[in-house]
Amino acid sequence: MIELTNASRWYGQVIGLNDVTCRIGPGLTALLGMNGAGKSTLLRLITGQIRPTTGEIKVLGMEPFANPDVYRKMGYCPEIDNFYEHYSGRAFVNHLARLSGFDPSRAKKRTEEVLEMVGMSDRADKKIAGYSKGMRQRIKLAQAMLDDPDIILLDEPLNGLDPVGRRHYIDLLDHLARNGKCVLVSSHILYEVEQMTRSILLLHRGRLLAEGDLRVIRGLIDKHPHQIRMETDDPRRAAALLSPLPNVVSIRFERDALQMEVREPDAFYDLLNKLILEDGLNVRGFSSPDNNLESVFHYLVEA
Amino acid sequence: MNAYVYTSTLRQHLRFSRIMPWLVLGIVAAVMGSIWNRLAPGSTDIERYSSVSTILVYRIMALASAIFTTTIISQEVEQKTIVYLLTRPIPRWQLLLGRYLASVTAVAIVGVFAAAALSFAVFGGGGLSNALFWRDCTALLAGAFAYGALFLLISLLINRAMIICLLFAFGWESSVPQMPGNMFRLSIYSYLQGIAQHPRKQEGGISQALGFGDGLASLTPVGSFITLGILVVVLAAFCMWWFTTFEYVPREDAE
Repeated sequence: MIELTNASRWYGQVIGLNDVTCRIGPGLTALLGMNGAGKSTLLRLITGQIRPTTGEIKVLGMEPFANPDVYRKMGYCPEIDNFYEHYSGRAFVNHLARLSGFDPSRAKKRTEEVLEMVGMSDRADKKIAGYSKGMRQRIKLAQAMLDDPDIILLDEPLNGLDPVGRRHYIDLLDHLARNGKCVLVSSHILYEVEQMTRSILLLHRGRLLAEGDLRVIRGLIDKHPHQIRMETDDPRRAAALLSPLPNVVSIRFERDALQMEVREPDAFYDLLNKLILEDGLNVRGFSSPDNNLESVFHYLVEA
Repeated sequence: MNAYVYTSTLRQHLRFSRIMPWLVLGIVAAVMGSIWNRLAPGSTDIERYSSVSTILVYRIMALASAIFTTTIISQEVEQKTIVYLLTRPIPRWQLLLGRYLASVTAVAIVGVFAAAALSFAVFGGGGLSNALFWRDCTALLAGAFAYGALFLLISLLINRAMIICLLFAFGWESSVPQMPGNMFRLSIYSYLQGIAQHPRKQEGGISQALGFGDGLASLTPVGSFITLGILVVVLAAFCMWWFTTFEYVPREDAE
């Protein structure tokens, strides 16, 4: 649905996005990166607000810059927290529906539908100036949903939402993604992203560092062996059984547990099964403390 | 064209809090018209109307145009709400044209209100039957289009265009029509006077001796209309092309 080919964007002497090539299809994809990594630049390029300095961007096979045909199939929830403050939430969404070309009755109907969808229909008559941050985020999402778009782009959408609102928001995005929509969510809050999806695009200083499934990306990071923490009643015996295994890089003793570094964790888990079944290795539990987004992010950014 | 762009923008311009100061300025023009005899004793009603219209009504219209027109896009950029407009499925030129026409309408309403208030103050009940008033209405409408197109272009090209627009409306437009030779042709106001055909006063003094401002008398209504029409079409078309071709992102994002 979205295709970037060697896309770069300069702001004068400063590079916002550097030679990015990627494809984003249906489903929920997270766009990750620290502040200034180029996430918003990428979203502005995809939404056709700006043009790439070099390279090419196609959305549904079309150039997005100032292209109404693209906007008919795309909803955009910007990061900015600016509105026509004197409008009520309902009037704001209705206004944008009318600008999208809906006739008055259809605009009214669609406004009610999207307000219902984001859980704002009962509070939408209040002026936006009096809204909480969470309510403003919901109104921004509502306006992005007006055209029932195939592509939904959300720039830091969870900022300011309370835990219940966040859960509701994530469920809604998940529902949209399951219905075949292409949902791209930018965020720098990793634990939020982890709740949403394992499909990521990781940007750092304008460059695309990694793209794809989180597990696959983690598996490809050879420089940092996987950390595995195994709880057992007899750590010494466990260490004796595990240390000869070819995948085990190091073992550290903890109280009632072993902290290991292993390569090729899938192969290691196969061998571990054998040890448990054939040699009676007693395992109470194990966890993989660096098999998460935060670790992957830090490993890639540090590299 | 998406008519909603026009109607919604016009509603914004005509909000009470926004239009009220302009109505007050129109009433000031009427008050000036009614006390003009104290400032220039012996002047006829036509001279009173013509003087105050030239000094105030056309300036009010130019000022309104500078303020209304520069808000068309630059205010949206400053407030960052431009993002919502530019990501709607509507061609950019339609968005700009609808907003420009709404601004022209609002400016024309302000100008005509000021002219009508002045006409009633000077001519009493016969205010609307006065030919000069109707010629002024035509000229004010043409001025709303012409100033609007020029100020729109300036606001698309330059950040914080308001100051330049105000300097043009009050500095350039006051001085250039009075310059010698054909310099007056570089002023929109000259052509508006060509349409309005206000009676020229015999001022005497050094300006008249040097022939300053004499060229205004040579402008015919038809010639002025054609000139302003060409100006408006060319400037407006250039604005549409520019707005469709170039990027408009919130200020701090562009820096």
